[in-house]
Amino acid sequence: MENLKGTDEFGLTELDHAIYERQIRLPGFGPEGQARLKNATVLISRVGGLGGTAAMMMARAGVGRLVLAHDGVIEPENLNRMQLAFRKDLGRPRTEVFRETLQMINPDLEVVTCTENVSDANARELFEGVDLVIDGAPLFEERRAMNKEAVRRGVPLVMAAMFALEGYLTVIEPGQTPCLECLYPETPPYWTIDVFPAIAASPVVIATLGTMEGIKLLTGCGEVLRNRLLYFDLTDNSFRQLKVSRRPDCHVCGHLPWPEAVAAASPVLAAPTPLSSI
Amino acid sequence: MPSIHIPTTLRRFTENERSIAVSGASVGEALQAFEQRYPKAAGQICDEKGDLKSFIAVFVNDTDIRMLGGKDTPLRENDELHIIPAMAGG
Repeated sequence: MENLKGTDEFGLTELDHAIYERQIRLPGFGPEGQARLKNATVLISRVGGLGGTAAMMMARAGVGRLVLAHDGVIEPENLNRMQLAFRKDLGRPRTEVFRETLQMINPDLEVVTCTENVSDANARELFEGVDLVIDGAPLFEERRAMNKEAVRRGVPLVMAAMFALEGYLTVIEPGQTPCLECLYPETPPYWTIDVFPAIAASPVVIATLGTMEGIKLLTGCGEVLRNRLLYFDLTDNSFRQLKVSRRPDCHVCGHLPWPEAVAAASPVLAAPTPLSSI
Repeated sequence: MPSIHIPTTLRRFTENERSIAVSGASVGEALQAFEQRYPKAAGQICDEKGDLKSFIAVFVNDTDIRMLGGKDTPLRENDELHIIPAMAGG
């Protein structure tokens, strides 16, 4: 039944139902899940091979609002993996191009853009009203800034990253799972923005898996990748789920209460070996 | 023998070998055996004190060694180690 605004009891229009009918049929999704996506705000930074793919799939899935942060203009070396940019866009501001492409995919999508990358200076503002973060940044300082703000606000963050044909993914739910600093407190000394080789398939794989985790978090369908790191190597198509845990001495999330269920189930999980003794 | 899965960043030290068999009764011994076999990789996984570098995670049969016994985690014949450095590529 539709109200005066042309929406049903879930806030979905007839066109929404027509477009998203197949995903509404997914087990555990339903019109409620679609409505949750429609009302959700997702922050993605940056919006390259990984983040851009995630943005594209969130737009396709019918998310209501995207906040995108990415500096600079489209460069030739972006075009081998950035799904939202084309050769005609060379030299144009990245966020302008991304907004344009995303709104071609989904004209109902609200896109908020920031022409800077995420940093400690702008993270608070960018996180305003955000329900979920997908981290596609190529520099650890940007990832650490997002991780810190996600922990401060208790906002879930999908951490996805790749190097060449390898990649990994986990869902960070502050207090319930390890955060980035628990897993990797230091940055590899060799890491620069130019260090990682990439062919589109690799960031696209990890972005696809990460987007699904985001959709699961927002809609409540399926089982979220908590306390597990999904690692893959496309060199030989190996995929593994690795058990990970919070670090009690983590300087970002260590102060948060430990989930009682985890502590009761496993004292080892509740107090893993401190970093200093490994 | 236990095996070690080598990440891309370390394969330049192993002539692109992705998995190698090593002897060792513990994670620490296996990593030491790895560095002895590939001396150019020495210092890539552990620091001068022998502690695991904190941008590298090591897993034994899918479990982070921090949840086990760290480098003292015992190894059995068919155990698999995964070395996974921090990544940020996108």
